[in-house]
Amino acid sequence: MTAKKECVAMLLAGGQGSRLYVLTTDVAKPAVPFGGKYRLIDFPLSNCINSGIETVGVLTQYQPHELNAYIGSGQPWDLDRLDGGVHVLPPYLRGKGGEWYKGTANAIYQNISFVDHYDPEYVLVLGGDHIYKMDYSKMLNQHKKTGAVCTIAVLDVPVEEASRMGIMNINDDGTVYEFEEKPKNPKSTLASMGIYMFSWKKLKKYLVEDEKDSKSKNDFGGNIIPNMLKNGERLMVYRFEGYWRDVGTIQSLWEANLDMLIDGDDSINLHDSKWRIYARNPTAPPHFVGANASINHSLVTEGCNVYGNVENSVLFHSVTVEEGAQVKHSIVMPGAIIGRDAVIEYAILAENVRVQPGAKIGTAQSGKMTDIAVIAAGVTVGTESVVAAGEMVDTDVPEVNQK
Amino acid sequence: MTDLHGLIFAYNKDLRMRELIEHRTVSSIPFGGRYRVIDFMISNMVNANIHDVGVVMRESYQSLLDHLGAGKDWDMARKRGGLRILPPFGYAGVRESYRGKMEAMNQVSDYIERMRQEYVVLADGDLVANLPLEKVFESHLKSGFDITCVCSAKPVGLVESETFLIKGRRERVEEVIIGRSELGALEYLGVGIISKKLLISLVSHCAALNLANFDRDVLQGMTDKLNIGTYVFDGYAAKLQTTSGYFARSMDLLKPEVRAELFSRPVKTKVRDEASTYYGRDSRTSNCVVADGCVIEGSIENSIIFRGVRIGKGATIRNSIVMQDTSIGSGATLNYAITDKDVKVSEDRMLMGHANYPITIGKNSVV
Repeated sequence: MTAKKECVAMLLAGGQGSRLYVLTTDVAKPAVPFGGKYRLIDFPLSNCINSGIETVGVLTQYQPHELNAYIGSGQPWDLDRLDGGVHVLPPYLRGKGGEWYKGTANAIYQNISFVDHYDPEYVLVLGGDHIYKMDYSKMLNQHKKTGAVCTIAVLDVPVEEASRMGIMNINDDGTVYEFEEKPKNPKSTLASMGIYMFSWKKLKKYLVEDEKDSKSKNDFGGNIIPNMLKNGERLMVYRFEGYWRDVGTIQSLWEANLDMLIDGDDSINLHDSKWRIYARNPTAPPHFVGANASINHSLVTEGCNVYGNVENSVLFHSVTVEEGAQVKHSIVMPGAIIGRDAVIEYAILAENVRVQPGAKIGTAQSGKMTDIAVIAAGVTVGTESVVAAGEMVDTDVPEVNQK
Repeated sequence: MTDLHGLIFAYNKDLRMRELIEHRTVSSIPFGGRYRVIDFMISNMVNANIHDVGVVMRESYQSLLDHLGAGKDWDMARKRGGLRILPPFGYAGVRESYRGKMEAMNQVSDYIERMRQEYVVLADGDLVANLPLEKVFESHLKSGFDITCVCSAKPVGLVESETFLIKGRRERVEEVIIGRSELGALEYLGVGIISKKLLISLVSHCAALNLANFDRDVLQGMTDKLNIGTYVFDGYAAKLQTTSGYFARSMDLLKPEVRAELFSRPVKTKVRDEASTYYGRDSRTSNCVVADGCVIEGSIENSIIFRGVRIGKGATIRNSIVMQDTSIGSGATLNYAITDKDVKVSEDRMLMGHANYPITIGKNSVV
């Protein structure tokens, strides 16, 4: 006998994240490291537990191994429960043959029995790759109060950004009358955050119908929401205020990481003990800062050894910056080693990158930043070699012999 | 799975530790930026594949209970075995407190009888070392001694508080001296391996004769009757006995070779889910060990900074140990100071001690 749950969260974590290029060659996008100690998926998972949602299905598909191992029993998020907790839900075979998740809606469709097991009134559908803190229980309260079939979290964005996003056009009472994907001439500036609260009975009905439609792409934004609107269902927006970033590109990932260095509205307070972001912890000693090191306006965490200079950067765990090396405006993921006198500027170094002494990655740039150099996981950048600004490297760079 | 059970004695309260043991035992003193002293011994056991561990406590144990919980952070929250807290008053018909290890073990004799393993490692909870217990066990099995004591040839603790072993022929310990040393004597580090069977008989023997102390009544008192062997550990070891000793051993962590040795195997501790430490635009840092969750706006030098510490703009911290959640106001100055957990040092205050007598600010104090 399973206790009934009021609300079950379904976290869509199957995205490939192809615009992150070499950073997602071997891992799913939600497993990409972020903010010094986290991976992208830690944000929605922590939001769930902090909002009192204790049953979470994580739908995986693309490169799931690292993500599966990372989530494990759910202990870091307090989601290891006898009843509920976190469950990884990959596509699986059925009697009549299984298949990959065809779209976001199909992923939930294929797991209807998982949701039904908990017999919830409401289902929260989330993405696994956005950076924000949000109390979903407030959204649920509004959803219940308004009696909507679906409540969609929206963010008021600047007009110039609206044409790049999914826009909700609403009536005065907050009900949605139209959903437009990347409109050329946006009628509103309320962008969908990809966070949907559904009344489960209704959603189930729409999922089943959608599945029968062979022309459907089985997508929430493309099919389910438009179908609900067509049938005159009550859809409401939930206005979210605060920091929210889509980190789908190298540029936005870099920017959002550096946002974590500042206070205020353009950032998230990661030190807030009332709304912690939980993560699986590496077992590493406190970091060490050498006698001649300097660190300014940067985040540094356990296992790091800093002997060189670090400025406006984020170092993940167990990174070594040797004497004379300089790291500026860069993101350095776990286990990377930056050799003596190497210079890293405007770059993202993935896990376990080795930068040999004297190598140069990226260059100082003036004006508007656009070109971030990226070094893929495990790559060695040879002694005295140069990786140009904006270059993307996924094979070892040979050392440059000096005369 | 090893055939070794761990028993950690975590009740030692060395009064020479002054303010630091006001609310806790030595095992529970914060050490090395993010640890409690006992983490090192528990991790030694985990790293040697010992998964069943009892922790014996006596008084001031709230701090230790908070820290250990169910043992989850050491992967010891198990259905079979795992971490067991062995508290005082839990056993009917015994005195409120015990005087020594033998008496303590007599009070938990039921627990010892029920151990699933054939052998037991008895370990003090206040030794900081990366001790290869699996090798000590291997040596114990190979040598056939009744008890194998882990020793150091280099001085570790204060002579007056230590037990020294002198070996005779065939590696057997012939003499045990307490509180003074001799040339060639080995310092006992408070860790020993013994079979469960022999341990049970020694415990009941001591209980019958009202003998309480392991070092004095077993090692010294029964040197002739027992075959006592040694395992000489030549790595880094620290015993925390006085405030100045605590200060000096903490500062050892600024040496790369000490850190490399102590942390060459994982040392696990209670996870606090802190964010990374943020270094401000005008901060200066030189030769420091810094844990997570700090915001450092001032300047820090030759210091150990624990988790969740705030250091204000223009504050100067030198040669100091700043424990968890301390906040140092802007413009304040600390030199040779130890601030315990949750201390608040207001703006522009100055705290100066000396290497031999670091000034210690007790838990929760406001300066």
